[in-house]
Amino acid sequence: MNLGTRKVLDRSFTSLGIGSIVVMALALLVVITPIVYNGLGAVFFQGTIEHRKLLQDEFHRGDKAQLEREIEESGRYRMEAYRMLGEFEAELEGMDPVKARQYRMQLGPVKTALQGLLGPIPGEEPGILTRFRYGQTRWEKAEEKLHELLYESKWDYSDPNVMAKEYFVRRAESFEGTSLLPLFSYVEQNAEKMLLPRFTAYWGFLFDKSVDAHIFGGIWPEIQGTFFLAIGAMLFAFPLGVVAAIYFTEYAKDNLFTSMLRSANSTLAGVPSIVFGLFGLAFFINTLKVSESKSVLAGALTLAIMILPTIIRAAEEAILSVPKTYKEASLGLGSTKWNTIVTVILPAALPGIITGGVISLGRAAGETAPIIFTAAVSVGSAIGLADVLSSPTPALSWNIYNLASEHEMASEIRHVQYGMVLALVSIVLLLNLSAVLLRARITKKLKG
Amino acid sequence: MKLFSKILMGAAVFGMMASGEASAAQKIVMDGSTTVGPIAKSFAAYFTKTTGTEVTVSESGSGNGAKSIINGTCDIANMSRAMKDKEVAAAKAKGVNPVEHVVALDGIAVVVNPSNRVQNLTLAQIRDIYSGKVTNWNQVGGPSAAIVKIQRESNSGTQDTFKHLVMGKAYPISKRAETQASNGAVKSRVASTPAAIGFVGLGFVDGSVKAVKVNGVTPSVETVKDGSYPISRPLFMYTNGEPTGVVKQFIDLNQTSAGMRMISELGFVNK
Repeated sequence: MNLGTRKVLDRSFTSLGIGSIVVMALALLVVITPIVYNGLGAVFFQGTIEHRKLLQDEFHRGDKAQLEREIEESGRYRMEAYRMLGEFEAELEGMDPVKARQYRMQLGPVKTALQGLLGPIPGEEPGILTRFRYGQTRWEKAEEKLHELLYESKWDYSDPNVMAKEYFVRRAESFEGTSLLPLFSYVEQNAEKMLLPRFTAYWGFLFDKSVDAHIFGGIWPEIQGTFFLAIGAMLFAFPLGVVAAIYFTEYAKDNLFTSMLRSANSTLAGVPSIVFGLFGLAFFINTLKVSESKSVLAGALTLAIMILPTIIRAAEEAILSVPKTYKEASLGLGSTKWNTIVTVILPAALPGIITGGVISLGRAAGETAPIIFTAAVSVGSAIGLADVLSSPTPALSWNIYNLASEHEMASEIRHVQYGMVLALVSIVLLLNLSAVLLRARITKKLKG
Repeated sequence: MKLFSKILMGAAVFGMMASGEASAAQKIVMDGSTTVGPIAKSFAAYFTKTTGTEVTVSESGSGNGAKSIINGTCDIANMSRAMKDKEVAAAKAKGVNPVEHVVALDGIAVVVNPSNRVQNLTLAQIRDIYSGKVTNWNQVGGPSAAIVKIQRESNSGTQDTFKHLVMGKAYPISKRAETQASNGAVKSRVASTPAAIGFVGLGFVDGSVKAVKVNGVTPSVETVKDGSYPISRPLFMYTNGEPTGVVKQFIDLNQTSAGMRMISELGFVNK
């Protein structure tokens, strides 16, 4: 091959490599950007006065005096709107009953939208569910509600052969000539003064309990549950896995039984996680009865079994990659086998073993299927360490699924879902990062 | 070995940090229906707030609720259908005595995408759609579009009730119907698919989908309560034996004024 062709081949291979890295980076960007952007939106957003009221009522947080001032300030604008509403209701009393009935039917959605925007209307009994006790806590949601108040969504069914298209009609049009008419433009112009949005950094999203099934509040119980489950799984799986790896590499004879054990281990690594979940339910909860109900303990045990094969394989590889000369030198100096393993081989293999362990930890934190039947609940408080043996817990992975698909108001709480996703991704990323750092430190220590 | 102990220390410190809250003396574990889920979750939050008893709620389907109470792994099983004879027998064999409590009434709303002009379907038409006899919306007064049928999984109490009240034994649901695992998932599938039809608990209906009239009756709290809406059912909570203590207090919530208000605010019907 002449030099020219080689150069061309070389260059094209390089560009191919760079190209694929760029594609990968772009793909990652496409996935990560919306998660980070929307996830941060759970913590940083334009919070309205309703958000501050909620914080004060539920968590006793915030400046009470200032809040009262703000309530008074926004109240002035709100009263004006409520006055218009009251005036119109009085006007209805004196109206022709047929016409009044027609107006009342149209007034219903207006009141619902107004209540959704600003919270309970004075004079009417506030709801018992927290979701009906407050207006919109986030400004971008408030803008959606404002649109709902101003416009009525209608569907154009005129062409019987095709699917209809949505169009919007100003609600004000149906109240032409009544005293309610000014309400719409008034609310539109003064919505900001009624809700007083301002930039909010709601760190409580990470450290608060949820309020009214995650519609308000934070995700601390989920974060804590995720840590409990992952660390619990590690406590069982890591020692077991390392011991098993030592057995495989140092003690097991090279016979049929050992190779069967090895292939069984590899097969276990490929079993779908839902199978582990069902096994955990049948074995740990229904047969062994480790706890009366689902519990962190049962979930951690199930996760431990799931990550065990990975830990065994990683530890095995790490031990095998320790140079033979280390072992020979140690044994040659008169050390016993066990002493050699503990003082020479394991420390040298430690970086590899820990890497495997931490990657498994990340997997345990992120898995959903094994904990559906063994540990996870959709609503529950943060549990203390004393309760891990008997109590189930919410956990990020399961609650993301639950909130996104099963929750009755799934489309209203996208920010919570994204916030949870970002929290989970960050936790797994942090774990993996710490594995890299830990490994670097240990390697440096061993060399030094 | 210094490193090992460091890691262990780290884990221990984390554990100490996490063990902030003291354990509550009593707790209630609930499992089961996604339809009853909103009621259970709201009751749980209210109950924890007023009595301090911890309550956890899982939403894994009525079938799983039944299994959990049979295996003794929950205190209350939420179910959107009555326990089957088979399940009662299995419970009795394990020494569990399931006791039924009706917590609320619920209608199963048949929902379509709002862009669909169909306003009213008869029970027979719904049956024909789900059994696969009617495959295009123009056969039932809609636009020309192939019907996308959405059903629930076999674990679902809503599915059981729908089969029982709409399909009957003679008409199995077509194999081409798509399965979704929860009320919320059915709703969002119908909301995003113009030609879809699905069925969800009344409490799940919102502006993103359109509930059609069945035999000319609009599904609503009033029509479910007076029995004129044809697809309605009671929602259950099952306990092992007659409930006592905090479980009894919890079960009786639906007779308190707070409980009744929660049920109606969630869009369900007080019995």
